[in-house]
Amino acid sequence: MSGLDILARRPAPAAPREYHFPRFERARLANDLTVITAHLPGRPLLAAQLVLEGGAGHEPADLAGVTALLARALPEGTAQRDAIAFVEATERLGAELHAEAGWETVAVTLEVPRRHFGPALALLAELALQPSFPAHEVERLRDERLNDLLQSTAEPRRRVERAFAETIYAPGVPYGRLLGGDEASVPRLDRVAVAARHATLLDPSAATLIVAGDLEGLPVVTLVAEHLGSWPAGDSPAVAPGTPLPDDAGSPRLVLVDRPGSPQSELRIGHVGLPRRIPDFHAVAVMSAILGGLFNSRLQRLLREERGYTYGIGAGFDFRRSAGPFAVRTAVQTEVTAPAIADILGELRRMREAPIEAQELRDARDFLIGVFPLRFEAAAQVVGAITGLVVHGLPDDELDRYRQVVAALTEEEVHAAALAHVHPDAFSIVMVGDAERVVPGLEATGLGPLEIVREAVPTVAEEA
Amino acid sequence: MPGSDPDIPTIRFGERRLANGLRVIVAPDRLAPVVAINLWYDVGSKHERPGKTGFAHLFEHFMFQGSGHVAKTEHMAIIQGSGGVCNATTYFDRTNYFETLPSNQLEVGLWLEADRMATLLDALSQENLDNQREVVKNEKRQSYDNRPYGSFYERLMAAVFPPEHPYQHTPIGSMADLDAASPEDVRQFFRDWYAPNNCVVSIVGDVDEEETFGAAERWFGPIPANPAIAPFAAPSLPARIGREVRETVPDAVPLVRIHFGFRTPPFGAAAFDALEVAAQILAGGKGSRLHRTLVRERRIAQDVALFTLPLVSGGSICAGWATARPEADPAEVEAGFLAELDRVAAEPVSDDELARARALIEAGELAGLGRVEEVADRLSQYATLFDRPELINEQLPRYLAVDAEAIRAVAADVFRPDNRAVITFVPQAAGTGAAA
Repeated sequence: MSGLDILARRPAPAAPREYHFPRFERARLANDLTVITAHLPGRPLLAAQLVLEGGAGHEPADLAGVTALLARALPEGTAQRDAIAFVEATERLGAELHAEAGWETVAVTLEVPRRHFGPALALLAELALQPSFPAHEVERLRDERLNDLLQSTAEPRRRVERAFAETIYAPGVPYGRLLGGDEASVPRLDRVAVAARHATLLDPSAATLIVAGDLEGLPVVTLVAEHLGSWPAGDSPAVAPGTPLPDDAGSPRLVLVDRPGSPQSELRIGHVGLPRRIPDFHAVAVMSAILGGLFNSRLQRLLREERGYTYGIGAGFDFRRSAGPFAVRTAVQTEVTAPAIADILGELRRMREAPIEAQELRDARDFLIGVFPLRFEAAAQVVGAITGLVVHGLPDDELDRYRQVVAALTEEEVHAAALAHVHPDAFSIVMVGDAERVVPGLEATGLGPLEIVREAVPTVAEEA
Repeated sequence: MPGSDPDIPTIRFGERRLANGLRVIVAPDRLAPVVAINLWYDVGSKHERPGKTGFAHLFEHFMFQGSGHVAKTEHMAIIQGSGGVCNATTYFDRTNYFETLPSNQLEVGLWLEADRMATLLDALSQENLDNQREVVKNEKRQSYDNRPYGSFYERLMAAVFPPEHPYQHTPIGSMADLDAASPEDVRQFFRDWYAPNNCVVSIVGDVDEEETFGAAERWFGPIPANPAIAPFAAPSLPARIGREVRETVPDAVPLVRIHFGFRTPPFGAAAFDALEVAAQILAGGKGSRLHRTLVRERRIAQDVALFTLPLVSGGSICAGWATARPEADPAEVEAGFLAELDRVAAEPVSDDELARARALIEAGELAGLGRVEEVADRLSQYATLFDRPELINEQLPRYLAVDAEAIRAVAADVFRPDNRAVITFVPQAAGTGAAA
């Protein structure tokens, strides 16, 4: 056995190799379109993203979902070709090209091997600037969205996320809606609404194109000027860049959506959280890693490794331009729903009441610093990170400073973040589960009045 | 090679076998200061015995519960505290363990893997067993039981493979078998399968090849081999199911979904490569035939899918589904889906379809080979399943060599009525399914 003695001592790490977030450069076309390029040697799968100002949060409530529908309809036909011809042209280049709506912006995303970058960029421009929105394709996508909503009633995770957002925000707040629209708003959508919405996004001075990958020998800015330079400068953007959305909170509630027969309860516990641009962003990141981000977070250690109540539990802030949700998310075995809620509330209170231990801080800090380079192996990941800077109006050195700032945090600063941003009095508790089996336990906890939502959701045939 | 992209990298690697049988593969890649470590143990759910289903996966959980020099939950804490990420998965043919770390932490990763390979049983306790059994049962509830259509995977495997075949049950196993697991079962599983001679370790990233072989020898070299491990003997499997298997499943679903399964040649056969290209043409995106016909043109399906699983013991499976729109006749959706498969079997795909499929496969390869974690996993895979890690550089040319006739031939061979399972999930009447 003597050879195995070596295992008794954990090896020390070697000296770390230096790492910096990739450098990127800005250019501006004559029409005021901003172009950001990041050269990543050895990354031949290029990524590009056109970020247009004005997302789903800025659409009228009665047309909720129109921006998401617009994004899905962009590849469904252009002034030059129909939907099939367009998708075939994309596939011939080995390209992945699609558009997606966010709350603040709409993003058109491309991934393509570098040898096909020019023609793929031409397709991106064609999709963004010259969509034809054929009525029959828009109607098909609208019907698919309605069917998708129907499907979502049977998926406990989607059902609970919807109920949670509706609960924590005040009525009328966009973040409380479904980004893709709901059963009331989606039937109102048609090609006229989609085309009108598209027109409001088309201002190059409020748009940014980000390109990353091995750009050696590629005249990126020239190519962009060729394909997007003729995009006429707009008068003024419909939404001023950076415009925040309302984020008023609702009152704390305890809500159970009945799903008879569910073997697990899907749980969400939280409240309205924080916008991305806050002075203590890094302290909040470390605090939520300790609470529910690390594998050995306080919540995981208790609910998974000690109790065995769940396969996994997490917590965190969804940072948006205005305050996105702060949520604890898990699914627990039906029988332990009430004690699991008590454990979670206990850990949330402890986050405020007990100090941060030195080891906890080290674990979270070293993790966030160490994984940083792992997050940017692919060009698409670099583009995604730079998009975050653009959307939130953050300085260009924000990402390169990240590791230094995190390294300098103290236990007190992290604890202060918990005191400032975790509010036990404001928690709503929202769950999807079997009312018959969980209600008695919930009533015994004295958590407050329980609202039970019963709807025509399909019931579950439990396996023996 | 038709259409081959000059930017596709060739993965250069070195390979050695330690005296105890451990196969070590090292592929330096200096682009980023990261290293991926990936171990494939040649044991999966196919090695499980009746009454012990789910054990390979339950065992995988214990590999994170501590070992001789690592306390419970410390494995993950050390990896994350080193700035890394890690995980493991259990599949039919194997169990893999992997971590990606800053490259200066290479030795920490090797130490953790060596310690659990050598001394796992030192940390095993009844308490850990009870805890992880509950965690795994909650994993099953979350991933299968509490999901609409969640039982399709179990049902398809059971329909496509005969009762005595090891692919007949899925890696998650049964609740009853998990409940019956004892600490002695776990100990025996370790003794039976976990040894250096039943493992491949691949190390990819910002490392020096010679130093890394030295480190592997230092950490893993002293671990004794288990000479009793015999190669897996796959039971014989007829090429086809032999009949059409049909099942209707009432479930908590709003829309009818029809699942299809076909028995296929095993992963590694040239015909399997052709089948993967066929699946790309049939369902690999919005330009694919099934999407175009059923979703876009006829508007009877909400979504469609078709894919293969990479299984090697005697045969594998090609699976797919179509979700019917509420107003559509499910019989029409099923017929429409099968008609597209028949068409591929009857007439050659067009040059343009083949060219598009190849372009997408190539781009996928650029994405995959650009990630150290993926490269390490593929090296371990090809070494474990085929004893040929160099397949990592041969797989793409194999896909690109597939021609229209190969696709037609494999489709004709596989997509037959006497070789398919059709499992239809239908919305059950409200209130009939609740169980106490």
